[in-house]
Amino acid sequence: MSSKRITTPAVCFYFQVHQPYRLNDLRITDIGSVGPAGYFDATKNHAIFRKVAEKCYLPANALMLTLLRDHPDFKVAYSLSGVFLDQCREYGQDVLDSFRALAKTGQVEFLAETYYHSLSSLFSLGEFCEQVKRHADTIEELFGERPTVFRNTELVFSNEIAEIARLLGFKGILAEGADHLLKGREATTLYRPPRFALPSASKRIIARHRIHPRSAATTKILLKHYRLSDDIAFRFSNRTWPGYPLKSETFVSWVRENPGFTTNLFMDYETFGEHQWADTGIFQFLAALPGELRRQGIPTRTPSETIVAWARRPMPVLDAHVPYSWADTERDLSAWRGNPLQEAALRNIYSLESQVKASGDLFLLDTWRRLQTSDHFYYLCTKYWNDGDVHRYFSPYESPYEAYRRYSHAIEDLRLQLERAAEGKLIMEN
Amino acid sequence: MFGWEYPPVHCGGLGVACQGIVRGLKAHGTHVTLVLPHDTASEDGVSILTPADLGVAGLISVQTRLHPYDSVETFAARIAAQEADPALQELYGTDLGDAVERYTATAVELTKNVPADIVHTHDWMTLGAGARAAKALRKPLVAHVHATELDRTEFHPNAWIYAQELKGLQSADHVLAVSSYTKNLLVREYGIRADKITVLHNGAFAVPTHNRPFEKHGKRHPLVLFLGRLTVQKGVTYFLRAARKIADHRSDVRFVVAGDGYLLPQLIAQACDMGLADRIIFAGRVTNAEARQLYRKADCFVMPSVSEPFGLVALEAITHGAPVVMSRQSGAAEVIQNSLLVDFWDTDKMADCILTVLREEPLRRAMHSQTPRILRNLTWERQAGKILATYRNVIGGRNG
Repeated sequence: MSSKRITTPAVCFYFQVHQPYRLNDLRITDIGSVGPAGYFDATKNHAIFRKVAEKCYLPANALMLTLLRDHPDFKVAYSLSGVFLDQCREYGQDVLDSFRALAKTGQVEFLAETYYHSLSSLFSLGEFCEQVKRHADTIEELFGERPTVFRNTELVFSNEIAEIARLLGFKGILAEGADHLLKGREATTLYRPPRFALPSASKRIIARHRIHPRSAATTKILLKHYRLSDDIAFRFSNRTWPGYPLKSETFVSWVRENPGFTTNLFMDYETFGEHQWADTGIFQFLAALPGELRRQGIPTRTPSETIVAWARRPMPVLDAHVPYSWADTERDLSAWRGNPLQEAALRNIYSLESQVKASGDLFLLDTWRRLQTSDHFYYLCTKYWNDGDVHRYFSPYESPYEAYRRYSHAIEDLRLQLERAAEGKLIMEN
Repeated sequence: MFGWEYPPVHCGGLGVACQGIVRGLKAHGTHVTLVLPHDTASEDGVSILTPADLGVAGLISVQTRLHPYDSVETFAARIAAQEADPALQELYGTDLGDAVERYTATAVELTKNVPADIVHTHDWMTLGAGARAAKALRKPLVAHVHATELDRTEFHPNAWIYAQELKGLQSADHVLAVSSYTKNLLVREYGIRADKITVLHNGAFAVPTHNRPFEKHGKRHPLVLFLGRLTVQKGVTYFLRAARKIADHRSDVRFVVAGDGYLLPQLIAQACDMGLADRIIFAGRVTNAEARQLYRKADCFVMPSVSEPFGLVALEAITHGAPVVMSRQSGAAEVIQNSLLVDFWDTDKMADCILTVLREEPLRRAMHSQTPRILRNLTWERQAGKILATYRNVIGGRNG
C-alpha cells in the first residue's frame, strides 16, 4: 500500500468515437434486386452523423483543441472506429479535420481497434486480424502514428484476446475494471494476463497480420475505473444523484482520494454534448478539468505513456477465462449474444466469411464487414426491452424484432449476391 | 357493475374483459352484483345462469333486444329480420334509442335496492343506466371504456351515440381506459380531463404452461390467422390486401379469417376478386375452444385494426404461442412488446412482417420467449387490484 501512496496518482483519458451504418427499411421484395448499396439508410445515417457532429464532435473537438493548447501537459486518447472514419469521409470532412488538428498537438494518442467495430474477436481470428490491421493502417495514414495500444469493441476482453494482441505487437490493451475479476483489488494498477498458449495454427494466422514488426514481450492491461468514469458518462446530469451538480473541483478531489498509479477514465466521446446535452453544463465541466487537475497536482497520461511510466513494476494477474465487456451492469456479452435473434444473426453473418472472401469482390467484402458492426446485434437485445431502458434509447428501430426484420433481409440479399457472384453472373454497379 | 355480455355467451372482447374483471375483483374479496342484458329472442344461455355460475354475488338480468356491438343500422336490421310479429315490435320498438332508454329505465328500477359502494359500467350502452343508478344510489360512477364510437366507425360516428358517450363520460366520477391510446383519444376527441382517466390495460387469463414446440418448419402450408368481428374497425380488408401480396411471393401460405360480422359477404366477394379463393378460408364464428386451436396452429397472427382500444385477441394469440403482427393503432401494442408493429394501411410492410415471421424461426422463438414475462405482468388479479385502488381513490375523493 505504501508504495502506491508514493506514486503521484495520474489520470488516463480515453474516449470512444463510433457511429454504425444503420439499416434501411428493407423488404422481402427487395431481396435479389437491392444489392449491397441499398442495405444502409444513407439519409438517416447522414442525418444522425450531422446531428452528433453539431452537438458533440465539432464543439467538443474545438474545446479540446483549446484545452490542449492552453495546457501543454494535458493528454488524452481517442479510439475512432473505421466505420466512423468512413462516415467522416461521406458526411463530415470537417469532423475528420478537427480530429487531425487534435493529432497535430502531439498530446493525443489514437488507439487501435477493429475497423468495423465488430465482434470478430469472438468468431473469426483471421477476420479479426485483418480488421485490426486495416484499422492500424488507416490511423497511421490519417494521423501519422501507428497505434501501439489496442482496445477491443465494447472493451470485450479475455486472456485469449490479450494474447492475440500481444502477438500482434501491442504493448497495452484496455479492459473494464470489473469487480468479479478484480476480487477486491484496485483498478488503478496495471495488470497482465496469465500465461496463455495459443494453438500453433492460430499463431501462424496472427504472424501473417502482425501490426508491429515484433510481438510485445508483455501486454499490459489498463482497467477502466468504472465508478469515476460513469460519474461523468452516466450520472452527470442525474438530478437524483447525490453528486449532482458535479463540479470539476469535486470530481478531481474524488480522483485524488482514490489512491493508485492511474485512474483510467474511459467513456464514449458522445458523452460530451450528445448523451449529456450542452445545457447540462458538461462542456463547462470538461473545460475546467485540465486546470483543476493541475491545481490539485494530478498529471494526465496517455495509455502508452501510462505503460512506459509503469516500467518494470510487478504486475498482478488479471485472469479472464470468459470474455467480458463494459456493457450494462452484467459486464458480460449478453447485450450482443443474449437471445436467439442475436445468435442467429451472428451465426448467419459469420457463416458467409469463406464465400465473401472467395468472391474477390471488395464491395461485397466491405458490405459484409459493415454488417458485422456490434451495434446491429445490440439493437436485437431483448433483455431489458420491456422496461424501455438504455437499449431502447440507443436503437434507431422501433423494436428488436423490427431490427431483426431488416437485418435478416440484408443477410438474405447478401447471400443471394454471393451465389450470383459465385456463378460469375453478377455485374456490380460500381 | 353493468355489463353487456358475459361468457359463455359473448361475441367480442368486452365479455371476456368483463369476466376477467369480475374474477379479479372476486379474488380481492370484492362483492360484485352484475347487471346483464337478457334477450328473450336470442340464446337461452344467460337466463339460466345463476350468480354462482358467473362468480358474482348477485345477478340482475334486464330484458332487452340490444346486442353489445349494435349500431343504429345493425339493430334496426336485426329487429326487422327477426320480428314478424308487429305486436312485439311495438312493445320493444325498432329504434336503438328507444331500446337503450327502455333498458336504462328497467335497469335503474331493478338496481335501486342494491347496497353498492360504487357503480362500474362498461362502454356506452350501459353508461346511461349506470349514471342514473349511481345518482339514485348516491354513489360514485366509474365508466370503463373498452371502445368508443370513433373506434367502431373509422371516425365517422353516429351523432346520437357519440352524444350519449360524451354525456355519460362527463357525468362519471372517474374513467378507466383500456390503453393510453384510448385515454389520448378520450382527451382529444371527447375533451375529458386527463387526470380523470386511469389507464387500465386488459389482463390475460392463466397462462397455459406448455411450451409451444418450435419444430422445424415441416408444415406444407404455413397458416396466417385473422380472428375478430368482421367490421370496419377490425381492418379485415387490409388483411386481405396483405394476403394478396404474400400470395404473390409464396404460394404455400394459407390464410384463415375467423369471426362473423356484417362485412362477411363483402369480404368473401373481395377475396374471390383478388384471386385468393384457394388461399383463404372464412371460418365464420368460432367457439373459444376452436379459437385456441387456431391460435396454436397459426404461424402468425395478424391484428390489422383501424383503431383498436386494446385488442384482446392479440393477447390471446401470444398466450397460445402465435407470433403477432399488429397495427400500431392499437392499445395492445403498449403491453405486447414482443410483436411487430405496422400502420394498418401499410399493407406492404404488413405483408413483409408476416413473411419475415414465416421465414425466420429464430424470430418466432425470440418473440415467444418474451410471452411469459408479459403475461405475468398482466394478470386480471393484478389489474383488478388497480381497479380497486381506483375505487378507493374515487370514494375517498367524494367523502373527503
